[in-house]
Amino acid sequence: MVSSFCWSCLTRLPTASPRPMLPPTLTAQRVAAFHTSSPLLAMPPKKKAPGQQQGPKHRTATTFKMKKRKVTDRVRPPPVGERRALRKRIVLSNPNALEVADMQDISAENMVDSRLRGSILGLPVPMLDQLRAVQAFKPKQGWSIFRRPGTVTRRETVELGRLIDGISDKPEDKSKVVKRIVTGPRGIGKTVHLLQAMSMAFTKEWVVVTVPECQDLVLANTSYAPHSEKNPNVYVQNQATAALLSRTVTANQKVLSKLKVSREHPALKSPLKRDTTLEALANIGIQDPASAWPVFQALWTELTATSPAPGFEKDFASRPPMLVAVDGLAHWMKETKYRTAKYELIHAHDLVFVQHFLSLLKPGNQQSVLPNGGILLYATSASNSPSIYSLDVALERVAARQNRVYPSSPDYPMPTAFSHPDERVLAAFESSKSSVPTEGTLTLQTLAGITREEARGFMEYFARSGLLRQQVSEEWVNEKWTLAGGGVIGELEKLGRRLTVPVQV
Amino acid sequence: MAWQNPNGLVQAMHSIRQAAPLRPVLQRSVISRSPIWSSSTTTSLPKNLNGKRTYATEETPTSFTAAPPLDFKDPRIRPARLVPASPSYFSGNPKFIDHLLNLEGILAANANLPTVENSQAPRMAWLKLPQFRDFVGEQVPTKKYKGLLKILQRLNRIDPELMPENVGRTIKQFVRPGNPYANKPAPATVDEMGRARGRGKRKSSSAVAFLVEGDGEVRVNGKTLVEAFPRVHDRESATWALRSTSRLDKYNVWAQVQGGGTTGQAEAITLAVARALLVHEPALKPALRKAGVITVDARRVERKKPGHVKARKMPTWVKR
Repeated sequence: MVSSFCWSCLTRLPTASPRPMLPPTLTAQRVAAFHTSSPLLAMPPKKKAPGQQQGPKHRTATTFKMKKRKVTDRVRPPPVGERRALRKRIVLSNPNALEVADMQDISAENMVDSRLRGSILGLPVPMLDQLRAVQAFKPKQGWSIFRRPGTVTRRETVELGRLIDGISDKPEDKSKVVKRIVTGPRGIGKTVHLLQAMSMAFTKEWVVVTVPECQDLVLANTSYAPHSEKNPNVYVQNQATAALLSRTVTANQKVLSKLKVSREHPALKSPLKRDTTLEALANIGIQDPASAWPVFQALWTELTATSPAPGFEKDFASRPPMLVAVDGLAHWMKETKYRTAKYELIHAHDLVFVQHFLSLLKPGNQQSVLPNGGILLYATSASNSPSIYSLDVALERVAARQNRVYPSSPDYPMPTAFSHPDERVLAAFESSKSSVPTEGTLTLQTLAGITREEARGFMEYFARSGLLRQQVSEEWVNEKWTLAGGGVIGELEKLGRRLTVPVQV
Repeated sequence: MAWQNPNGLVQAMHSIRQAAPLRPVLQRSVISRSPIWSSSTTTSLPKNLNGKRTYATEETPTSFTAAPPLDFKDPRIRPARLVPASPSYFSGNPKFIDHLLNLEGILAANANLPTVENSQAPRMAWLKLPQFRDFVGEQVPTKKYKGLLKILQRLNRIDPELMPENVGRTIKQFVRPGNPYANKPAPATVDEMGRARGRGKRKSSSAVAFLVEGDGEVRVNGKTLVEAFPRVHDRESATWALRSTSRLDKYNVWAQVQGGGTTGQAEAITLAVARALLVHEPALKPALRKAGVITVDARRVERKKPGHVKARKMPTWVKR
């Protein structure tokens, strides 16, 4: 029988005196419950039809039997690295897509041609290995829907092409250094902009050095160690440096195998021969990761050398310009997951690898940071980026200086009071005018959506690849342009690849 | 006579109509002058008209006369039976039937007048059923009143230029006092900056959209369409009013939206943009109505009830 007092609050405890015995009632008594809670309002379940709820049937065992647990064979887990490889796999071709007939490849001639704006320039097949080596392609970029990889030529691309062409060939732009931070909203094409820069640099036989994912250096996935006895607060990442050397060598083998060392490198363990190529030099670091950082420094010195040391004149060839591309910059602006010996978090600026690449943003000491000319392209990421207030302020300051608003001006962006900005981050982007005339100051390039004409070329490419079964009209492109938030190219791609069957009228 | 039998309204109506001279009028296509039945042939009806709906006319004199008022001064004069003033006196709703017959008569008399489309006729706020019941003081069934309204609407469709004075006067009896459709709000206009403003609501969201002539830029709360609505479907529904009228690349939208979730916000913007578009181009209303952005979806979240887990859901039954 349901007790009629509340168990939790004991409001109606039975009295101490024994209650008079009541004769048991024969009929079931309905007792009003103490609490009128909502479960009591619920309808009782319907009774099952008679016959189903009877006890055990005839000829069935009535004893209790313990069910044996089934032992299932454990499926072998996939081998180490397989799932990661699957996740990071990059597919650059789709044999089901149609071949676009008159598609040009990017070359030295057409990378400066503004008439090609809005058209798709393919990446030459031999270059794909180089681009793969520098990890220019990212897994989720949708290269796998077209027959062969290609990129849209937009206004910024032509401008970049002219810049690269000028630094390579024009005497007045020789050894010019351009430093840029590429920002923009998500899907706007920042990483592809870097890829286009790399493809142009490869066409012009530059040396391309890339950090494809800044996050990899701060996640505590690679080994780290104090740099030396002298400065134990700076950390070196040997595996990551070896990987960087490996990327650089594989991608630039043609260039590096022609260049010879131009000076002694006392920091290396064993002295180098006079006719060592830069490729061989880098291979030392790849084979022995413990010496990767000194080797990288030696390689960097060689690549930025303008003249040979005495005694090395015979084999010296002038060094090509360099492209340094870094993607996902915000990860370098905060504490890493690495710990010091005192178990404190290490700031990313204490990693010697990061220090090196960030120091390039500053004006060089006596000579420019890339004395042979080149471009620094550091891109932020909008999809995988920690929100760092100091970086936002620092980038605002870069943009302000670009617009001739100098720190003395009251309009110069300042961090808000009590926001405790990271001074190291702010300092990393403070770059004054360089004393070297060829070295440009740091600028901010904010990418915006592509224009309607460029969008039209892009959508026609979808149609000609057989992905879009629709008449690509002016009106249709305009509609997609608006739906893609004003020509955000990543969104346009999503809209284009949605298979829509046109309505039959 | 049949109408003496107080059995039912239908029978009474039937007999009243049969007692009167008849002619078919309601067929709108028949404009030709149909021969009016002369009053002398009241007693015998043509067999072929029995099944058709017919109307009484005013032109024929009624076949009965009311009894003279009783003269109580001379108690000896007493009529054998009282003859009421209205022939529908013994029906259930005599006043209603009088009105109905009157209107039918008017309609029959003016059936040949040209009519206009429903949308062109002046909008009238007819009496609601309870008001009409008060007006006649009888318990009129809903369906009967609807029949009356049909006749009123048909009379209202007569070309306003040619509307006879007596018809207008009769119709006006059935209009609610202070015609609520008479005063309309001033139509919204584009302001001096070329902006049209519209407001829309859906679920818990409310949006204000400003529409200017432009080239298809959309900002929602200062963000681009992609940032505001990551889902393509929501972007499509937010711009649907412009898209369905192929105006997407002719206007810029600047919208402020608050409350509710993503879908509700997108659809609130749809409504706001549609209304702002109507300010620019009022002629688009039929197209927009077809696109489904004129009709407001007034549904809101149903409130939770005591004893229920949600609005309707009941708790599961537990034995104790």
